[in-house]
Amino acid sequence: MTLETASRDLDLTACDREPIHIPGSIQPYGILLAMRPSDLVLTYASVNTAETFGLERQVVLGRTLREVLPKVARLLEPDLAQPEERGSTRFLRTLAIGTARGERVFDAIVHNGADQTILELEETPSEVATTLDTLYPTLRRFVEQLQAASSVEELCRLAAEDVRRMTGFDRVLVYEFDPEWNGNVIAEDRNDVLPSYRGLRFPASDIPSQARELYRRNRLRIIPDANYTAVPIESLSPEPLDLSDAVLRSVSPVHLEYMRNMGTMASMSISILRNGRLWGLISCHSGEPRRVPLSVRNACDFLTQIFSLQLEARERAAIAENRMRLGSVQARLLGHMAAEDVFINGLVNNPFELMELAGAQGVAIIDAERCQCLGHTPTEDQVQALFHWLSSEHPEDMFVTEVLSDHYPEAASYASVASGVLSIAISKMHPSYVIWFRPEAVQTVSWGGDPHKPVHGEVGATRLHPRNSFEIWKETVRGRSSSWNPSEIDAVKELRNTIVGIVLRRAEEMASLAEELHRSNKELEAFSYSVSHDLRAPFRHVVGYAELLKKQEGSHITDRGRRYIDTIIESAFTAGTLVDNLLSFSQMGRTALKPRLIHTQPIVDEIRQKLLLETEGRHIVWKIGDLPPIQADPFMIQLVFENLVSNAVKYTRPRDPAVIELGSYRKDDNVVFFVRDNGVGFDMAYVGKLFGVFQRLHRMEEFEGTGIGLANVRRIIERHGGKVWAEGAIDRGATFSFSLPNAIGAA
Amino acid sequence: MPELKPILLVEDNPKDVELALTALEQSQLANEVVVVRDGAEAIDFLYRRGVYETRNTADPAVVLLDLKLPKVDGLEVLQRVKTDPEMRHTPIVMLTSSREESDLVRSYELGVNAFVVKPVGFREFFEAIQDLGVFWGILNEPPPHRDRTG
Repeated sequence: MTLETASRDLDLTACDREPIHIPGSIQPYGILLAMRPSDLVLTYASVNTAETFGLERQVVLGRTLREVLPKVARLLEPDLAQPEERGSTRFLRTLAIGTARGERVFDAIVHNGADQTILELEETPSEVATTLDTLYPTLRRFVEQLQAASSVEELCRLAAEDVRRMTGFDRVLVYEFDPEWNGNVIAEDRNDVLPSYRGLRFPASDIPSQARELYRRNRLRIIPDANYTAVPIESLSPEPLDLSDAVLRSVSPVHLEYMRNMGTMASMSISILRNGRLWGLISCHSGEPRRVPLSVRNACDFLTQIFSLQLEARERAAIAENRMRLGSVQARLLGHMAAEDVFINGLVNNPFELMELAGAQGVAIIDAERCQCLGHTPTEDQVQALFHWLSSEHPEDMFVTEVLSDHYPEAASYASVASGVLSIAISKMHPSYVIWFRPEAVQTVSWGGDPHKPVHGEVGATRLHPRNSFEIWKETVRGRSSSWNPSEIDAVKELRNTIVGIVLRRAEEMASLAEELHRSNKELEAFSYSVSHDLRAPFRHVVGYAELLKKQEGSHITDRGRRYIDTIIESAFTAGTLVDNLLSFSQMGRTALKPRLIHTQPIVDEIRQKLLLETEGRHIVWKIGDLPPIQADPFMIQLVFENLVSNAVKYTRPRDPAVIELGSYRKDDNVVFFVRDNGVGFDMAYVGKLFGVFQRLHRMEEFEGTGIGLANVRRIIERHGGKVWAEGAIDRGATFSFSLPNAIGAA
Repeated sequence: MPELKPILLVEDNPKDVELALTALEQSQLANEVVVVRDGAEAIDFLYRRGVYETRNTADPAVVLLDLKLPKVDGLEVLQRVKTDPEMRHTPIVMLTSSREESDLVRSYELGVNAFVVKPVGFREFFEAIQDLGVFWGILNEPPPHRDRTG
């Protein structure tokens, strides 16, 4: 009965468990003997040994080879004495030995098991006897043609042709495994006896994992007749004999059934190994039973080894060529990045090269701030969503998939543009990615039978049966892009390293810039420190000596001379004051803020007190409004009020009465203070100059000053995170205001 | 009548020395004014070392100490004196061109008695020097402890 619902897994796991290396029997094309290496006492023997040589069964086990088969022993003892490496099978020689049915020809093959020397005598079929001489032309032709083959496909076809020519099988397939161990038939040579399997894919379950391991180890297997009757191995020991490396090993009944289902009565397969890994098989089939002598099999194995070396060389050359091409793309991208101030623009502005690097049709450059989609990509919103998913699920350096929707189901809706995704994370601190997209490549896969229904079982029985249909079964694969190949992945990885390198270097540059800034600040500090000493002193001396001259020698000097001296004194004094002001201005910028809660009302009162002397005789009306406490540097804020109030006093000098108003109000999150006067005002056209260093809007003889006060006010307020501004009109007074953020405003 | 203590002026700039001496002269102070030209000399004087090993003047009523000096600068002299239990009562007035806040802060940390920025205006400078001379030379009563050791 057929179990339609049986799953692939049942087949796989059941077959995977079958102990095919210890079948306990051999195929009936010769005899197998196992013996202790030390004394060549026979420990295992196929039961046909006695019959073949006309002996009693009881005389075989427990006796030495010499006792049982003296002629064989005599011929082979020198060879058997040489220990073999475990796992390597050695063809010794062809022997003609007398048997119960006359003299027969055997190929003697020996290998070492765990603690046994295993000798196989495979009977050479007389009708197909060949010698190395007859095989040589084929091998030579093959090697010559290999050099000329232009493609991997042609190489495979040649291998299939020549193996068939040497062996006489009806159909020879070259079969390559994909990463999931499904086998794809990539080349075929056949006659009309068996159907073509070219282009078909066979599910991984057809060759279970322990069979693949065996194939890796023992490169060539043959089953001359799927209907053979196995010959059991007998032993005095309960331990089964490991036949992994035996040429006559009997195969799994499931496999024989599989062969019969396929319509093949004989089969041979040769492993194609690449770097010790099973890359594929050359698989030979025949509609009728077929013996292939050991010499021919060895020639096929040799041919296959040459073939796989050639395959490897070609693939390496192709990879190298591809790497060179991608290397030059990468070099151009690097050049573009180096040419830009913002290096990432080197990528954004050269989307075609960026896409070529990964063989992609679209690319996105994205971080929290910006998203650049170039070429064929999902919509920006979809890319943003993908970016967030990547940031949380795949912070690793690189993420690669051909089927994005397997990882991220939302991507199914845009599989046609982005089934394949290759992305690199540039920074972990601030998630930023470059993501390449590949569209869905709709594939039609022709399976050699429905891969989803491979198993048949008998009710109540544990024995498995392989599928019995090899009718082509087509499947359309969706949501999958073509594969990202290793050179593309490496190129992208290198681009990432380059970008990370640039980012790191930029960070270092920033750090060294900051250090330089710090150093030049220090220098500036030292400079102004020495200026404060060295430049001030000469002015002081000029004033000092001029005063002494006037005081002590004044009687000898004319009135004009005294006026000159006064001017010298005044000028030097002004210059000294300028130095003082400039230094205080520079200190305002350098000195650390020491904010604390301060009451502004007493500050203003104190300033008015200080100005009393200057304002003596003048009529000034003070209007003092609400002056709330603030959080600020007391010394600096005092300077601000001092400047603004003394300016108001100065520029109202022509007014009677002068009206000076101080007050505050709240605006948004700020406290605004203002000082308003009814003085001479200013032209709003020059308002921009008011707060500049040494900018004056009045002539010296009108209003004295160095033009540093308001520059200081602005610097102090800006350092507190506030703003200063002024409004005025000529002869209509002025209002100076400053705001301080509420965050540091009154508690 | 106790002997008038001298005023020690530590100043490297000869013009400043002349101007300061003129100012002190005109304030009619009877105190002797001793001028030394760098920090090392100042320390020698205070500690009666080197050329001052045998001086027989009293310790100064006040040290008018310039901040920027050759060899040993003013802040070092100040620190030396103010960290010495025997000497720390000697009044020291920093007299400097600098209005640099860091100097001011440092000087007060070290225990300076006054910090005077030399005014550019001569009249102000004169007044400042004369006031200092009069205050520290005549009016200030030194602590009794210093009297005993002085």
